[in-house]
Amino acid sequence: MKGKKLKIGIYELTGCAGDALMILNCEKELPAIFQAVDIQSFLMAKSDNIDDELDVALVEGSVTTEKEVEELKDIRKRSKIVVALGLCATVGGIQARFQDPQKWQENFRQVYGETKMELPAVVSKPIDAYIKVDFYLPGCPISKEQFLNFFTRVVKGAPPESYPQPVCVSCKYKENDCLLKNGLFCLGPLTADGCGAVCPSHNLPCVGCWGPVQGGNWTSEFYLLQDKGFSREFIKKKMANFAGTKLSEFWKQFDRRD
Amino acid sequence: MKVEKKTTLTKNPFLPDPARIVRVYPLTQDVKFFQVRLVDINKALAFQYHPGQFAMISILGAGEAPFSISSTPSRPGLLEFCIRKTGTITGAIFNLKENDLIGVRGPYGNGFPIEKMLGKDILIVMGGLGAAPLRSVLLYCLDNRDQFGRVILLHGAKCPAEMIFCQEFQDLKKREDLECYLTVDTDDTGQWEDNIGVVTTLFPKLKAINPEQTVSLVCGPPVMYKFVIQELLKLQIPKDQILMTLERRMKCGVGKCGHCAIDYIYTCLDGPVFTYWDVIHMRELI
Amino acid sequence: MKIVKLKKSNLHPFLQAASQDAELWAPVRQKNNKHSFQPIKDFATIDLNYTRTILPPRKLFLPPQFNMFQASLQGYKEDFSHVSPKVIFGVHPCDLHGLLIFDEFHRQNFEDPYYLKAKENTLIFGHSCWPDDKCFCQSTNTHLVEEGYDLFFSELDDYYLVWIGSSRGDDCLRLAPELFDESLSEEDIKGYIAWQEKRNQAFKLKINFFAMPDLMELRYHHSLWEKLGQACLSCGSCSLVCPTCNCYNVQDQPLLSQDASNIQRCWDSCMLENYSAVAGGENFREKRSQRLKLWYTHKLQAYISKYGKPACVGCGRCIATCPVDINVFTVSRALEGEEVEAFWNRLAKEVNP
Ligand SMILES: Cc1cc2nc3c(=O)[nH]c(=O)nc-3n(C[C@H](O)[C@H](O)[C@H](O)COP(=O)(O)OP(=O)(O)OC[C@H]3O[C@@H](n4cnc5c(N)ncnc54)[C@H](O)[C@@H]3O)c2cc1C
Ligand code: SF4
Ligand code: SF4
Ligand code: SF4
Ligand code: SF4
Ligand code: FES
Repeated sequence: MKGKKLKIGIYELTGCAGDALMILNCEKELPAIFQAVDIQSFLMAKSDNIDDELDVALVEGSVTTEKEVEELKDIRKRSKIVVALGLCATVGGIQARFQDPQKWQENFRQVYGETKMELPAVVSKPIDAYIKVDFYLPGCPISKEQFLNFFTRVVKGAPPESYPQPVCVSCKYKENDCLLKNGLFCLGPLTADGCGAVCPSHNLPCVGCWGPVQGGNWTSEFYLLQDKGFSREFIKKKMANFAGTKLSEFWKQFDRRD
Repeated sequence: MKVEKKTTLTKNPFLPDPARIVRVYPLTQDVKFFQVRLVDINKALAFQYHPGQFAMISILGAGEAPFSISSTPSRPGLLEFCIRKTGTITGAIFNLKENDLIGVRGPYGNGFPIEKMLGKDILIVMGGLGAAPLRSVLLYCLDNRDQFGRVILLHGAKCPAEMIFCQEFQDLKKREDLECYLTVDTDDTGQWEDNIGVVTTLFPKLKAINPEQTVSLVCGPPVMYKFVIQELLKLQIPKDQILMTLERRMKCGVGKCGHCAIDYIYTCLDGPVFTYWDVIHMRELI
Repeated sequence: MKIVKLKKSNLHPFLQAASQDAELWAPVRQKNNKHSFQPIKDFATIDLNYTRTILPPRKLFLPPQFNMFQASLQGYKEDFSHVSPKVIFGVHPCDLHGLLIFDEFHRQNFEDPYYLKAKENTLIFGHSCWPDDKCFCQSTNTHLVEEGYDLFFSELDDYYLVWIGSSRGDDCLRLAPELFDESLSEEDIKGYIAWQEKRNQAFKLKINFFAMPDLMELRYHHSLWEKLGQACLSCGSCSLVCPTCNCYNVQDQPLLSQDASNIQRCWDSCMLENYSAVAGGENFREKRSQRLKLWYTHKLQAYISKYGKPACVGCGRCIATCPVDINVFTVSRALEGEEVEAFWNRLAKEVNP
């Protein structure tokens, strides 16, 4: 029986480790998880980690050092399925806001001065900048429910087909009055659903922490927000917060046109 | 005033029936043939369908998707499907072995209008996986051979290894009451004895067609339709005697989930078989 | 039809009696002054001074997410846990029409037991309403109701005229016959007629609804759809709040420690990008403009041909909801050839600079 269990590895690159923690937070389900799969490597949870062939690797965090690039490539080589776990791995996270190498150098110098780094740093990127990713589980941090659902499907051998939908869908399931319609700065229509619209359900606009949803209409929402009186710079800044590298192309085109 | 009538709901159309895989073997590199039988033998024998209808197949832990029934109702008891591996559910189906259980609901959709085809010449044009629904009607015609006029089959594939039911159709060529033409776009084996070229290159080989007397059935990849229909129109087959099966996303098969909507009809109820006339006068069909 | 009179002060005692073996649902004021049908524990929370709830009452029959059945290798176990005896009080005429369309939709072809069982277990008490600037049910001819309710409460000064629409509604009255007055006076009748006339005059929003099927056909390839497509956020809100939208998705959710799955049904929206995507990379409605066209074909032209009528009941929810003001009203104006919103114009420039 043991031989049949999926071999899983959970890895952390640069991030807050909140996603790995969220897995450990599935207290009720943990015994079942450990029963269902063979966890080969999970630095946060255990010490006897083996870096061997894997069925599924869950990778949290963005790539910010050259060493991480190597580590990541090694994980890909060893794994049948690679899952980007959390926002940082999916889009690069907040640390990926500065993609312009020059600006990044400037910031770097401002923070660290001329210190020589032991681990040479690179511009922060999502993991799919370096390797092929099979599935994405965004979130800052990931949601327990979404993780368990996905995990169970993987264990049963049929990872779900992705069906991208914005936060607004869950927001309507929860019967919230639309904050954007009321003039608030809500990024729900541009953000991948998965949190179940927790923020709008507490009357707080969505800031986009699940990252961009496929097919989001950024141009239209940009103009809409401008119409509602928000400044161009403010909108850009807010939109960029959780979009990581995924909007670079959009901004290039957008700035050229405007 | 209408008094609320208590509906006595005897059947839940969303519940599948358990079915067992009786046989499975590969047809091409990414298409497998599945023969299944409903576990409840009475239901298996009572499962009546028309050629061209489809069933919803479900795999525990993966989900449910629509597939054309490839077998013919003239051979009851067993249902046959040809399934191409394209994603989650089809991937899960590919992992199943003989004796494994799946769920089946159906049959759904309109199917081919057999009554209108009786006594007519039948011209079947299939490409690639289009053989899945059309094999059903072909076998039906052959099993009821005296009820139809000429039966003509044009079947095309990318290359010999991609031809679904290659052996079955090769054997059919021997039948005198079937005009069977096979073709491949390219022959990478050097062993192919039939035509080489796209399926439309078969049309010049046909013996004279009586257009008014002919019903043509077409199924294949989207690019194929355009060219085949041009040929059929050249032959002057009336637009409402050109039948085609269309694909849409389907989540229920019973006209409730909305995914298969085209304008204001639902493909799972009013399709998947449409005439070419439907296609040109309805806005979203092609 | 039998009509009786109920003093307003008798309403709560009646609701108490009628909902003895059932859960009572009624409109309750939520944050931002919006309303929602909620289970009622305290009658004082019922707020009948409302125009539209955020979600239509269909959420009580087919909730946003529910399990249809549990599947395992041993077989299938139906799950009807969303069905329980309910009394819904305060449903407006537009929503009653929405439910009538839903009834027909879920009965035709294949009966949908998840809807019909929930419906069988529910008593519907309609309530009269007063239009705001977003209601246009007069234009869709859904401002009056003759069927689709068990009881209907027409609110007049300090009493209701109660229309008895079904034998189950009649049974309800018999639970507390002493609360009702069977004889209507001449004044009551005149009062009702005067109220009707006043309400008829109160509709501010009008749509030339019956020109829409032709205009949809004539302007099917018009550039207005591209403009709308540029503005639409694909958020799905319009369809999720519409009382006649029925689309759903199905998910197989396996249980970790059992060889079984919950088969979950959840509301879907035809505004979402992958709604019409099929295997092989084909997507029949890749563009937002194409998705909008489908929705408006259903709302303004004809739904499933069997209805013989468009599936808009004039509730105004899409107007109250769409963040970029694409709704039945603005689209109908655009179809009539008017440039409606400056916002659209700017986006139009974006498309054809
Ligand atoms: C009437 C009809 C008859 C069909 N007959 C056959 C057949 O005989 N043989 C065969 O191999 N295939 C057939 N198909 C196609 C088959 O249904 C899809 O290949 C299958 O749904 C893909 O499921 P999946 O989970 O493997 O793919 P997914 O992993 O779900 O996704 C792969 C792609 O399939 C699309 N897709 C997902 N669900 C559906 C759905 N319910 N309907 C259509 N596309 C979907 C997705 O958009 C995606 O692009 C038929 C489809 C229809 C509508
Ligand atoms: S509040 Fe935000 S998330 Fe909710 S519907 Fe409005 S825009 Fe979408
Ligand atoms: S910010 Fe948006 S995506 Fe993040 S939790 Fe809140 S609602 Fe969800
Ligand atoms: S289309 Fe708009 S107004 Fe019409 S029923 Fe739907 S939500 Fe209400
Ligand atoms: S029309 Fe409006 S409510 Fe509907 S999907 Fe588009 S932006 Fe959202
Ligand atoms: S497949 Fe659900 S409506 Fe046609």
